[in-house]
Amino acid sequence: MMVSLLRYQRVRNTLLQVLYVGSLAALVLACALIARQNLAQQGITSGFDFLFKSTGWDVSFSLLPAAPTDPYWWYFLIGVINTLFLGSVGLMLATIVGTIIGLARTSSNELAQLLGRTYVDIFRNIPLILQVFFWYAVITHLPTPRAAHQALGMLLTSRGLYVPIPNVGGVAFAAAILTVIAAIALPVWLGRTSRLSQPLGERLGIQLTAAATALTTAAVILALGRLPDLPLLDFPALQGLNLKGGLRIPPEFSALAVAIAIYGGSYIAEIVRGGFKAVGKGQMEAALSLGLSPWRVFTLVRLPLALRAMLPILANQYVWLMKATTMGIAVGFTDFFMIVALTINHSGQTLEAIGILMAGFLVINLSLAAVFNRINKAIALKGNQLRG
Amino acid sequence: MNSTQSIGTAVHIDNLDKYYGSFHALRKINLSVKRGERIVICGPSGSGKSTMIRCINRLEQHNGGRITVLGTELNDDVGNIDEIRREVGMVFQHFNLFPHMTVLENCMIAPMIVRKRPRAEAEATARRYLEKVRIPEQAMKFPGQLSGGQQQRVAIARALCMQPQIMLFDEPTSALDPEMIAEVLDVMVTLASEGMTMICVTHEMGFARRAADRVIFMDGGEIVEEAPPEEFFTSCGNERTRQFLSQVLGH
Amino acid sequence: MEMVVVAPPAPGRIEDLRRRFFATPLQALLSLASLAIMVFVLWKLLNWAVFSAVFTTAGGPEACQAAAGACWSVIAARWRIILFGLYPFEEQWRSALACVTVVVMTALSCMPAFWTGRRIALVWGTGAALYYVLMKGGVLGLPYVGEEAWGGLALTLFIFVTTCLIGFPLAICLALLRRSELPWISRTTGLIIDAVRSLPLISILFTFAVVLPFALPQWLQGDKLYRVIIGSALFFSAYQAEIVRGGMQGVPKGQEEAAMALGMSYWQRIGRILLPQAMRNALPATINQFVISFKETSLVVIVGFFEILASGNAAYGTGEWRFAYVEVYAFIAFIYFVFVFSLSRYGAFLERRMSVGER
Repeated sequence: MMVSLLRYQRVRNTLLQVLYVGSLAALVLACALIARQNLAQQGITSGFDFLFKSTGWDVSFSLLPAAPTDPYWWYFLIGVINTLFLGSVGLMLATIVGTIIGLARTSSNELAQLLGRTYVDIFRNIPLILQVFFWYAVITHLPTPRAAHQALGMLLTSRGLYVPIPNVGGVAFAAAILTVIAAIALPVWLGRTSRLSQPLGERLGIQLTAAATALTTAAVILALGRLPDLPLLDFPALQGLNLKGGLRIPPEFSALAVAIAIYGGSYIAEIVRGGFKAVGKGQMEAALSLGLSPWRVFTLVRLPLALRAMLPILANQYVWLMKATTMGIAVGFTDFFMIVALTINHSGQTLEAIGILMAGFLVINLSLAAVFNRINKAIALKGNQLRG
Repeated sequence: MNSTQSIGTAVHIDNLDKYYGSFHALRKINLSVKRGERIVICGPSGSGKSTMIRCINRLEQHNGGRITVLGTELNDDVGNIDEIRREVGMVFQHFNLFPHMTVLENCMIAPMIVRKRPRAEAEATARRYLEKVRIPEQAMKFPGQLSGGQQQRVAIARALCMQPQIMLFDEPTSALDPEMIAEVLDVMVTLASEGMTMICVTHEMGFARRAADRVIFMDGGEIVEEAPPEEFFTSCGNERTRQFLSQVLGH
Repeated sequence: MEMVVVAPPAPGRIEDLRRRFFATPLQALLSLASLAIMVFVLWKLLNWAVFSAVFTTAGGPEACQAAAGACWSVIAARWRIILFGLYPFEEQWRSALACVTVVVMTALSCMPAFWTGRRIALVWGTGAALYYVLMKGGVLGLPYVGEEAWGGLALTLFIFVTTCLIGFPLAICLALLRRSELPWISRTTGLIIDAVRSLPLISILFTFAVVLPFALPQWLQGDKLYRVIIGSALFFSAYQAEIVRGGMQGVPKGQEEAAMALGMSYWQRIGRILLPQAMRNALPATINQFVISFKETSLVVIVGFFEILASGNAAYGTGEWRFAYVEVYAFIAFIYFVFVFSLSRYGAFLERRMSVGER
């Protein structure tokens, strides 16, 4: 009876689906149950109560105030912010490097092409983590604070890079930075700067006004938030065996940022090159034949079309680079993943921590993808008139 | 099986219904094809003629009615489907030859892995049928190296190598350049004269006149007209059929 | 890499050079700047790596540290630990032979003559078996060496090969499941693939190395090395599955219909018709994925394996060679570069050849 029933497609299909989904669910459930039991034997109760207990350990890098008395949820937040911060700095630097190298590779100058290709061939083919280790070793082998390299008020030592910072309150500092970012991001977001319908002068005027307003606002905020009785800029200086003052960028962070910039730059360079290659020769010839200057052909035709071609691939690369910040654990940078690993070590809340890790990266990836989808849609060409 | 059908029936379609979502693609089709009979099905595009013959070897699943092929009912039973597909050959509009195999391998693979024939026997059969479709010299080439007409003839040979009892043709000449249509039709006429049961969806009315026992006109998912060719072309009564014929034959 | 060769100026040559590099002031500036960078970097590099470098261990670390250039003596002194880790000294020839096996195996699978499912499986199967026997021993008079003693390049290659060996069939299964007509199967598989792809590899390696022992019964835990390999294979297969699926989408629907009409069963259609064509479509992307996953093998250093990166850290980390980190990393980078660069060049070559074939 069973065997003859199995000959029927519908019976077979239902059975297959039930078996597949069922066995997967059973597997996950079994693992979870065993884990719970094992953990319970070690005296660890499952649940998310531990989030509100204090951690009892310290983090090496944090943008927010952190102390061992802080609860776990605060540490997770610190981890996410560290990851996002390192990620964005890495992305920005990698984009700058990648654009320069990519432009060199697409330029008509053969020497520049050769230079670009050599760069890409070398740095793309060496694993990122090796580059992280390398830069970390380089930075930690720098001279001690006593014999530090000095330039422009900055100090380069084995304990990190010390840069001067303005003597202002944290809130005011953050607000000023946000103002400047908004001044750059808003016009782009609204798509105002790329529209040709307005005369060039007017557009420039708007941009200049926006930039000036933003800078003034930022300056006012900084002045208001200035700490009393201190010079405007706080320079790092040697005091005894140690350095005092200024902002210390720890070696872990610099090593990761530099490695991500160099490695990611080699990938982004290829994306930039691909984007420019995708712009048809016909488009440029048409623009040149209209009598536009090479510079305007570049800014009005080549660049906008290339940007549209490279954006989707760039989005993937950014997601990848964001995930690459997890290499922080190799040099001891407390990114989101390292916080999770430390949590498991100290509290034993294994399943919960892994769950939080997965959820965190899912949210980060999905929001990055959503942002890029929006940009993509906003700048997509209507119809397909430029293809084929 | 159904006792009312005689052994001489190849395909029996009874009240066939087919939906694509809410679109009613085939409406209550009734058709019986005797062994050795040659049927030509024509009709405007979207009339459901391809869908109907694709139902016969279950490339499309029907939603209502019964299809019986060679005495076996085509239903949910996987065994029946396999059995029927072995006995029903099909030729497609776009040939669908396997591009990663040579012409000879294209013809040998199904007999070897489906019918479990030994390699030597499969090769002998393949060479015989390639001879029959008049391209024995192309056996070691890949499909991509052949012209459209040659590819379609290989496709016919490939189907014949399974030694099917029924052959389905789904617009076999529609994708061909005019000068290649004749070579494919010649092969089909030869096949018809040898007594193969054939169901052909085609607009080649010359072929219908020369080889068909019956011509069926479909429109809107229904069989509108069904007649022997001479009757079909000279004295059909239906308005839709006449309009279609004037479009196909008119120029 | 082609070098710009400046030939003796013949009539027309100078004109040619002028047009190529000095057509406009901007071009001239760009050329000069590029040239300056190249000459500067090349000179510094050569000076460091060759002219002022120390190559022998004769003077010991002290003489080496005093030199202005690279101290290659650290490599001469420590190459065995970098390549073979803690593998017993007298048996290291086995480790070397195992590495050669992997290289030969990779080279063989780059030849079109081996591009059928059976042959490629044969090459990789025998290669991996040979590697395993050589490394582990215990038979044929070879003394037994446990996995915990494996290290260096040999361990890196082992992890890479086993990752591919497990991950590739898994990728094909996942791709088939994801394109299944049965909605629950395809959706569940899609969920698994997307979840794995959204996670960083390190977190997966960490989960398999550290967390999984909690969630598995004792008898299923196995060695940490094999758990990590399975984790990395899972990660590889999630990416590779999407590549295979892309390749399958490139196969026209008529191919499967023709196979169905000939009476072939599901597995015959997949094995004989769909996969051979899909793999051909997916070949360039697949090689690229191999390249990426070879580089990512290096991440196992984080979960505590003594692969080439860790053995490199150990090579300079202790005692008298503490200063020679750049040389060690340069050496490891060079090894990676040789593997990865040749593989990616091969991929680019294939892509070019295939796009020519299409025309």
